[in-house]
Amino acid sequence: MSDTTQLRVMDFDCPSCASTVERALGNVEGVEDVEVHYSTGRVEIHYDDSLADPNTFEQTIENQGYTPQPA
Amino acid sequence: MNTQPIKRYYRKHRQAVIAGSSGLLYGGGWSLGYLTGFDTASAAILILAAIVGGYDIAKTAYHEVKSQTLGIKTLVTIAAIGAIGIGAYWEAAAVVFLFSLGSYLEGRTMRKTRNALEELLEMTPDTATVRRDGNLQEVPACEVEDGEIVVVKPGEKIPVDGDVVEGESAVNQAPVTGESAPVHKADGDEVYAGTINQEGAIEIETTGAGSDTTLQRIIRRVEEAQEAQSPTESLIDRFAKYYTPGVIALSIGAFAVTQDAMLSLTLLVIGCPGALVIGPPVSIVSAIGNAARSGVLMKGGEHLERAGKIDLVAVDKTGTLTKGETTVADVEGFGTNAREALELAAIAEKKSEHHLGDAIVAAARDRPSAVTDGGTVAAETDGTGDETPSIPDPDDFDVVAGKGVVAYHDGREIVVGNRSLLDERDIAIPDDVAEYVREREERGETAVHVVLDGTVVGVVAMRDELREAAPGVVAQLQDAGIETVMLTGDNERVAAAVAAEVGIDDYRAELLPEDKQAVIEEFREDHVVAMVGDGINDAPSLATADVGIAMGAAGTDTAIETADMALMADDLERIPYAVTLSKATRWNIYENVGAAVLTVTVLLAGVLTSYVTLAAGMLVHEASVLAVILNGMRLLRYE
Repeated sequence: MSDTTQLRVMDFDCPSCASTVERALGNVEGVEDVEVHYSTGRVEIHYDDSLADPNTFEQTIENQGYTPQPA
Repeated sequence: MNTQPIKRYYRKHRQAVIAGSSGLLYGGGWSLGYLTGFDTASAAILILAAIVGGYDIAKTAYHEVKSQTLGIKTLVTIAAIGAIGIGAYWEAAAVVFLFSLGSYLEGRTMRKTRNALEELLEMTPDTATVRRDGNLQEVPACEVEDGEIVVVKPGEKIPVDGDVVEGESAVNQAPVTGESAPVHKADGDEVYAGTINQEGAIEIETTGAGSDTTLQRIIRRVEEAQEAQSPTESLIDRFAKYYTPGVIALSIGAFAVTQDAMLSLTLLVIGCPGALVIGPPVSIVSAIGNAARSGVLMKGGEHLERAGKIDLVAVDKTGTLTKGETTVADVEGFGTNAREALELAAIAEKKSEHHLGDAIVAAARDRPSAVTDGGTVAAETDGTGDETPSIPDPDDFDVVAGKGVVAYHDGREIVVGNRSLLDERDIAIPDDVAEYVREREERGETAVHVVLDGTVVGVVAMRDELREAAPGVVAQLQDAGIETVMLTGDNERVAAAVAAEVGIDDYRAELLPEDKQAVIEEFREDHVVAMVGDGINDAPSLATADVGIAMGAAGTDTAIETADMALMADDLERIPYAVTLSKATRWNIYENVGAAVLTVTVLLAGVLTSYVTLAAGMLVHEASVLAVILNGMRLLRYE
């Protein structure tokens, strides 16, 4: 089943940082679509819940050097 | 020992801790080096400073390279590693420290900008008092179901959208509409979640709760607007894609020519497109956030940038410059009495659903029927002697768009309309009628003829009061160098009278609804045109204009859809604010882009002439980014 989750990253310091996180999340297994916005810090992830574990999203963002928080 | 709180603290303040430690190590290492002549010990400390400050940067750089996006962090990492490679330890540490400090400060200030909407979100209370099973229960606001009755005491915030079913009060709607004056609410009136009940206890029948409220919808739209890229942003983004690899190529080329490693590393650092890519989004996010708090919904950066170029504002007369509450000012009978003329007009207009028709029907209902001429009118209309006579339905009727109606009743033909409808039907207008009509029209009133079986029997004059704010708003727009034009379906004489009263530059009269669009097209040939209207009747002309501004849009999703800007309140005074904010935003973007380009140019010249070194280049670069962010944030406080 397809599901959607939202996170906030308040510490993006440049637009390309947001694109990097967007690509990293897009590479996570089971993720169908990702939007990461520099201007609002909003992260929206559409994923297949039989393949992806939403907990890994936060970890992925942290690995890139940013702090995710609940939307 | 429980390390959880420390870990949490570290996670939250990671950037500050890193920048701080790196700074301390850098300061220590540099001081030691200064005293000892930069020996091995100081070199070790400086390298440590670079590693502490640079670990996260390098990690992100690694991901950037892996995902084939060459970002600013890649450039900084190459520069730092390169500097260590050529033994320039303190420069490496300085670059890393300055960059991590800069990023921390930039993240912090951006967080403030991103939080501008937070205060709107906080307006909605978490719980609601609901009448369930005869009791009052406190439940989470998002769990209130449609149709449930919510009780709101004076001084409390309203937790859901709904209609008042009991009590009355004054409600402060500022969070949704930006209006500071409280609005009176009584039975049947709509209230919004997040607004504040100021006076009396009210009961509300819920129509939306949780994420399905007007305020939540507005916030979602504002966020979408902030996220949508403006043309300047997309242009700069496309440019940045080639720019960064270009800087790397330039740096390699410079090394090949000069064999000066320091020079080429410095080029990498100052070539980062920081201020250039950050400036426009900060300006736009700040402006849209500011507008949202004042009850103006801007659709996005693209619309905002276009609105910054507006030099002509076209305003629909009815409901925009005027209150939109047409009332009958006077009725004159010709060959019959005024009462009967009004009755006939009301029968013809009963089903027209036109605002002039509604005013005639309302006037006919309100006027005491038995006052004139032997009570024939009362007997004719309902025969029961009731105080408010019912108006009979016409047997048949036709609307002639923009001109009037033709109806049949009891075998007689009633025509109610303007001069062009009468001309069309070859109905003669006697001189005394024409004289009366002219006199009313010169006062800015709309006059319609009432014709019974081909003979003019009366004239109904109607008035739609000007909004008190209208002349002031027009003057403010003129002060901002903007031409103002009024569009109306009224005839020349009425239009001229109203235009003079408001002080508007120009007017276009006798426009049929579809003509307005054509007029806007015509203006667009040499102007950037904004059209102000109610968003429903004017939807086509709003869509045709460069910038469509809908008024009183809080309750109507259609208006928000078609408009580029939506004023939540029915408040004309927001228009100069919205237009000047857009202009200020456009300038702000120019300032930021200009400052960024100038900084890079000056730095580049400095590097090529060896005036600017690695650390100084980084310092100026980070300072320019911060300056651009702070400049953009000024728009948050624009009034």
